[in-house]
Order: sequence, then structure tokens, then C-alpha cells
Amino acid sequence: MIKYDKALLKKCANNLLFDMSDEQYELLLKEFDVLTKQMEVLGDIEGLDKVTPMTFPFSVVTSYLREDIPEESLSKEDILRNAKDVQDGQIKLPKVVG
Amino acid sequence: MKYINKTIEELHDLLVAKVVTPLDLVKEAIEELKKEETNAIETLCEKEALEFASTLVEPEVDNLLWGIPYVCKDNFSTKDILTTASSNILHDYIPCFDATVIKKLKEKKAVLLCKTTLDELAMGGTGTTGHKGITYNPYDPTHSYKMGGSSCGSASLIAQGISPLGLGSDTGDSVRKPASYGALVGLKPTWGRISRFGLFPFAPSMDHVAYFTRSVKDSAIVLENIAGEDLYFDATSSTKPVDNYYSKIDGNIKGKKIALIKEINECVKDQPILDGIEKCKKILEDKGAIVEVISYPRNLLAAVYPVYMIISCAEATSNNANLDGIKFGLREGNEKSYQEVMMNARTKGFCELIRRRFVIGSYSLFKDNQEELFIRAQKIRHLIVDKYNEVLSSFDAVLTPCGGIIRNPIDGKDDDASRTEVDKMIIENHMGIGNFGGFPSLSLPIGFDNGFPFGGNLTSKPFDEVTLFNIAYALENELGYKNVTAKGGQN
Repeated sequence: MIKYDKALLKKCANNLLFDMSDEQYELLLKEFDVLTKQMEVLGDIEGLDKVTPMTFPFSVVTSYLREDIPEESLSKEDILRNAKDVQDGQIKLPKVVG
Repeated sequence: MKYINKTIEELHDLLVAKVVTPLDLVKEAIEELKKEETNAIETLCEKEALEFASTLVEPEVDNLLWGIPYVCKDNFSTKDILTTASSNILHDYIPCFDATVIKKLKEKKAVLLCKTTLDELAMGGTGTTGHKGITYNPYDPTHSYKMGGSSCGSASLIAQGISPLGLGSDTGDSVRKPASYGALVGLKPTWGRISRFGLFPFAPSMDHVAYFTRSVKDSAIVLENIAGEDLYFDATSSTKPVDNYYSKIDGNIKGKKIALIKEINECVKDQPILDGIEKCKKILEDKGAIVEVISYPRNLLAAVYPVYMIISCAEATSNNANLDGIKFGLREGNEKSYQEVMMNARTKGFCELIRRRFVIGSYSLFKDNQEELFIRAQKIRHLIVDKYNEVLSSFDAVLTPCGGIIRNPIDGKDDDASRTEVDKMIIENHMGIGNFGGFPSLSLPIGFDNGFPFGGNLTSKPFDEVTLFNIAYALENELGYKNVTAKGGQN
């Protein structure tokens, strides 16, 4: 495992586009100490070489295509109504290219 | 209370006999909801509920949900009704569509009373982290002990008898654990049995639509009405036909084989819970079931919590990437870049616990950590499920306690030693196996101690909810904890 410190945790947070206060990072460091201890039990489990990772409980097999029935889709007004800044039917954001 | 604290079955008879109308029930429930003191409500749907109920005039004899009031955890999309997931980032979000379960309940003419509180974004098990603060347990007038979560609001309202049905969601045990603290029947059916379209995703490989009732038969009624394929919207919904669960409940469990897991029972702290399990064992045997105590590897049970944390946090980081303050949710304005828009929204919109969980997820997904953490967790999940399937190949169901202690203090600051104590990690998290393997799993009240309820949990093979209901019904009949409420005892 990558060794963690405050800088690494901040990098993790910033990668996900949020931040925390210094005190919160300190608390998180302590949380990581506990988590690492909790995860130690995973290291004791053997015989994983032949086990495949489980990504879903079981396969849901669909062996046919559903009927192509037209459905009414959501209106543009409905989709945009929760956005805070809308102009000409589009969501407005700060300029990306200078 | 006059009628609202009755079961769905009882209310249906009263509605059909025209002793009471849906409008009467809604009025009574709204009055009670306005008085409730556990901080369980996000949004009261008074106007909508009264309007809809007043259109319900002629009872539908064959529709057991006709005119039945219900409440719904606030992480289901409800068209034109505020839906916050108890998070500041969604403080003003109004969906423009209904979740499939909401749509189905509407078609059955069940009436939505209110949206209920949860641990923010359903990522918690305490009922204390929503943006409105702690949701209290109605069995505890001192407000000192947990309702449990994340489906805390629905649990509290059903435990108070203000509605016979409360929708929730269950990714680790978020319905089954609060059901235990509230003397409720909490069902998490097989993964894929109920469409998840419109349920805010937390960790889709483990998320389930789940719900609370106060009787086993009510639970069966609800399942056969909201289960079923939804391939247009949820590709993981199952195409298997939906069973007639309600009519198949007869409590006959003669010859059924039920396992108790020694390593789980050994981790229980409170003796009354063990006494409760022993009582259940005796009832089951008296009814002709074969009950055996079996062994399950303790190291796999101890791994459930860390595996859950790694997988759920990792999945949550990507599933919640859409909460950016751009399309919906918190946005302050005057930001200089879109990154700043997102940074502001997510920093101010998520509580500290959520941000910590996201960091854990991000850390376990680092390229250099993936093999040792994320992939390893997924492999161990496979081992845990394979071993459980082995048990279920010889048994019809597994019976366990829901947790190890009856009263769980809200301010019980866990010290580090306690949080890494293996017994506690096992007994408080083992129900997550039901989510790992998608097994149907039901909690029901099995005892009381000093006025506080505690539950037992039954888990069976995928899509074998009928067996689960029958075993639970046999227990409910003998234990006598059907339709118990916090205020009125047994109704």
C-alpha cells in the first residue's frame, strides 16, 4: 500500500474536487490508522490466487432484446430546471478557454 | 391513534368495508406526522397526499395497497417533490421523474405521506449524519440511543405506527439494522428483485431497494407489488417471474433446515439477544424445522467490514461524481472556473463523514493500491459469498442476531481499540454478506429488554423469498411481536 500522509490524503480529496480543513485532515489521518488496522485481517486470508474478483452478486443474463417501444423522454425544460445558471437552453459555466 | 397504526392487511379490510377512507387515513397520518418528535421527516407531502387520497373513492378489493399510506426515504426520486438524500449538496433538488418503485406504488394507489431522513447519501449506519441532524429512536424518550441507519427516518415513523410501510435502501444493512432497533420487519430482497431506477446509487454492486413493515404478511404484500423486471431503466433487474408471496405464506416449515452460525453468536455481548435466538431455535424445532449450529470461517466474517468499506467507498466515489453543482444542487455563483464550481459545491455540500469516505475510496483505487486493496477486497468478497452459498446448499436459511448490543448509544465515542476489536467488527457487520451475495434477507423482532427491542435476521437463497417469509411468519406467530409500535405496544 502507498504510505499515506496528510499531503497524500489532500491529493485524494482534491482529485475528487473537494477539500477539507487542516483539522479534518488530521482526523482523517487517525481514521486511516484505524482503517489500516481493520484491513490487516484481509492480509491473513490465503488462497486468493485462483479467486476471481467479484464485481456483482451474480450475473443477470438477458438473452433477448426488449421491444423497441417509443417512450416520451423528459423535456429540456424539466432537465434544466435544477441548474442554477441557464442561458439559451444551455447550462452556463465560467469560460473554459481564454 | 384510531386507524393509522394498523397493518396493511387490517387497513385493507377497513377500506374495503368503507369503515375508513384513504382520505381519513391520510388526515390522521398527517396530524401525527406534524406532532412527531424524532426528526424523521425531510419533506411533508401534505398537499399532494390529500389531493391524491381524495380521488380514491371506490375501493379495489383485489388491490391490497389501494389507499394505503406510506413514507419514503429521501434518496428515491419523486417527481416534483424535493429530494435531498439528506445532503446539503441537494438541498433544493426537485426530480423531474419518479423512481420505478414510486411509480409502481402510485399505480397501486398507495399514498405517499412524506420523504424521510437518512444518513447523508445513505452512506452511514447510525442515523446521525443527515443534514438535519440526528434522527432519534422512538423507543428511547431520552434520545440517547441510536435509531440506526441509514434508513433512520422511515424506521422511526413505522416504529411509531404513523404508517404501515416505509421505503428504504440497504447497501450493508441499512434497513435490517434499524429494523432491529425499531421492532420492525425489514426486508432486503434478492439483488435485482426490485428495480433500482431512481434510487440514488451509493454502491450499485450492493445497493438494494428495501423496506419496513410491522408484519411479515405486509412485507410479502409489498414485495409482490413492487418487484419485477424493469429492463427499460434498470438492466440489473431480474426477469424471473414475481411469486405470489402473500398467498404462499402458511407458516409451514416442517422439514426446513435452518443454520445458526457459531462464530457469529459467540460475538454477541448482550445475553438477552442470545436468549432470543435460543427461543427462536426452540420455536422452529417445535414447528418441525431442523436447526443446526454450524461453523463458518471466523477470518472471513472478520473481513466483511473492511471489504465492505473498500468496495462501497470506491464505488461511491464514481457514483457521486455527478454531484457537481452544475446540473443540479448547490452552486454559489461568481466562481472563476468549472473546477471552482465543483470544488465549492462538493466541499460545502458534503458533510465531513462523506468526504472522509470518498478519500478512502480514492485511496483504495490508486493504481499502486488497487491490487492490494480493491482487487483483494473483491476476491475476498467472492470467497465470503462462495462459503455462504456452500452453507445454503445444505440449509434453507441462516438465522443470526442482527447485532450484538441492544442499546447503541448515540454519543458512544468508539475508541480505536473498540473499532478494531474483531468480535465487534463481526457482530455489527455480518449482515453485509446478504449484500455481497445478493441473498434475500429479513430482520424481525425477536425480543425486548427493558423496553428496547432487538431483532433476528434470516437469510436464504437468491429468489427464495417464499421460504424466508414462511420461516419469519412461523416465528412471528409464536413470538407475538406482530404490529408492535413504540407508543402503543402491540396494536
